[in-house]
Amino acid sequence: MWLASAARLVRRTFTAGRILRIGTALAATEAAFIVLVWIGLAGYYNLRYAETILPFLLAGLRGTALFVVVAIPLGFSLGLLMGWARVSRSWYMRAIGSVYVEFFRGIAPLALIVFSSIIISALVQRVFYVEDPAAYAIAAGLIALSLHSSAYQAEILRAGILSVPTGQVEAAEAIGLTRGRAMVRVTLPQAFRVSLPALGNEFASVIKDTSLLSVISALELSYAGGVRVPSALQLDFNLVFLIWIEVALLYLVLTFAVTRTVRLVENVSKVPGLEAAEL
Amino acid sequence: MITVRGLHKWFGDLHVLDGVDLQIAQRQALCVIGPSGSGKSTLLRCINLLVRPDAGDILLEGVRINSPEIRPEWVRQRIGMVFQQFNLFTHLTALKNVMLGLTQVKKMDRSAAETKAKWELDRVGLGDKVHAYPAQLSGGQQQRVAIARALAMDPKVMLFDEPTSALDPEFIREVLDVMARLAEEGMTMIVVSHEMGFAREVADELVFLDKGRILETGTPEEIFERPGHERTKAFVSKILR
Repeated sequence: MWLASAARLVRRTFTAGRILRIGTALAATEAAFIVLVWIGLAGYYNLRYAETILPFLLAGLRGTALFVVVAIPLGFSLGLLMGWARVSRSWYMRAIGSVYVEFFRGIAPLALIVFSSIIISALVQRVFYVEDPAAYAIAAGLIALSLHSSAYQAEILRAGILSVPTGQVEAAEAIGLTRGRAMVRVTLPQAFRVSLPALGNEFASVIKDTSLLSVISALELSYAGGVRVPSALQLDFNLVFLIWIEVALLYLVLTFAVTRTVRLVENVSKVPGLEAAEL
Repeated sequence: MITVRGLHKWFGDLHVLDGVDLQIAQRQALCVIGPSGSGKSTLLRCINLLVRPDAGDILLEGVRINSPEIRPEWVRQRIGMVFQQFNLFTHLTALKNVMLGLTQVKKMDRSAAETKAKWELDRVGLGDKVHAYPAQLSGGQQQRVAIARALAMDPKVMLFDEPTSALDPEFIREVLDVMARLAEEGMTMIVVSHEMGFAREVADELVFLDKGRILETGTPEEIFERPGHERTKAFVSKILR
């Protein structure tokens, strides 16, 4: 039943018209940027360079998209679990939640990425005898980003949960719902709605944090644009500058797509009396 | 129907319920009055186990419901509760508020639950508001939805915890009317309320609770007109004025 209502929400949110509108807006923005950059490239150099660069960037974009698409839901799930633990009645659940949040929120994401890369590669080599640095980088990146973001999402969701009046939980229990059911049916649906703007913010952060993964040579936008392209083409300053503009714009496009989607979900699930505070 | 024997509850050092004994027969309406802090709400909340009593027995049709082996959910399906602050689920329409217990607890299918919920809302005079969200309803309407939500579970007993205290004066009547009709239909109910008119008309019995003890029990006439205890006298004269 929960899945069904989630599916309904998705159907109501992503109507053909909306997808078309957002898609067109994104495509138009991106096309304009590409043309601009292309003109810039062509002005300084010849088109062959541009043709070599774009495939790199596209591969980077695919990598970044993969990290985002996996790390956001994974971070959300972990965050939900830990946010729930932090408001639990049992002290050891609260303790687990607190330690988790304080730890992963307190570590610099860059350090977390390096640690997880070291641990993953050592572990995989020893245990599975697999020698594939690119795969290590992806796995380590996904884990580090998810853990980092989940700590923030846990706090966002905790605040959302606490914003639901306890009287409603009592009312749910008074008609015979168990505490867990009351959480799933009464508290969480309201907590999500209230948390959406903050979650959208956090998702945007995750997208930009993927750029940190270039330190472990994971193939994503910054690594592709900042390391792979220059080393392949031995570029000079002007071209590097142009490529970074394009990289920056691609992040903008990704962030825009995700925050617009969150805003859309926000509008569709809006209910009188439960409007989330505008950021 | 419900028997309460030697009920004690402490909140830290505070002795909120100090040996309460209470009996209510089927189809009876019992009114509980008493100064604030006397333990009225705690008494109601003990009866449907929202608060665990520290000592004593609560019997529902002879079953000791505060025994550890009895699931609180089992008890709460059978004892409906209406709160001072309505406590409707903000994210659900009136209809869905009533349906939630039916689908989640009684495991009814959607369409059956919807029919039943509409019927219950009709009963409290809100047949035309089924798709309104709580924020779009007046206080009186919200409280009536809350009553329908509790009634939908077909409880054997209904508890009302100051159901009109949070209402603007203009909405008190409509809620009391619904409750009076309910009593007429033979619902067993325990009402914490200072609505004297309602107590006179509807209550079969009135208890005066003070500092966690029942000081006096009687018909509304006896308590209002010939209070036997000094503290009852003082309290009654305050609220009758």
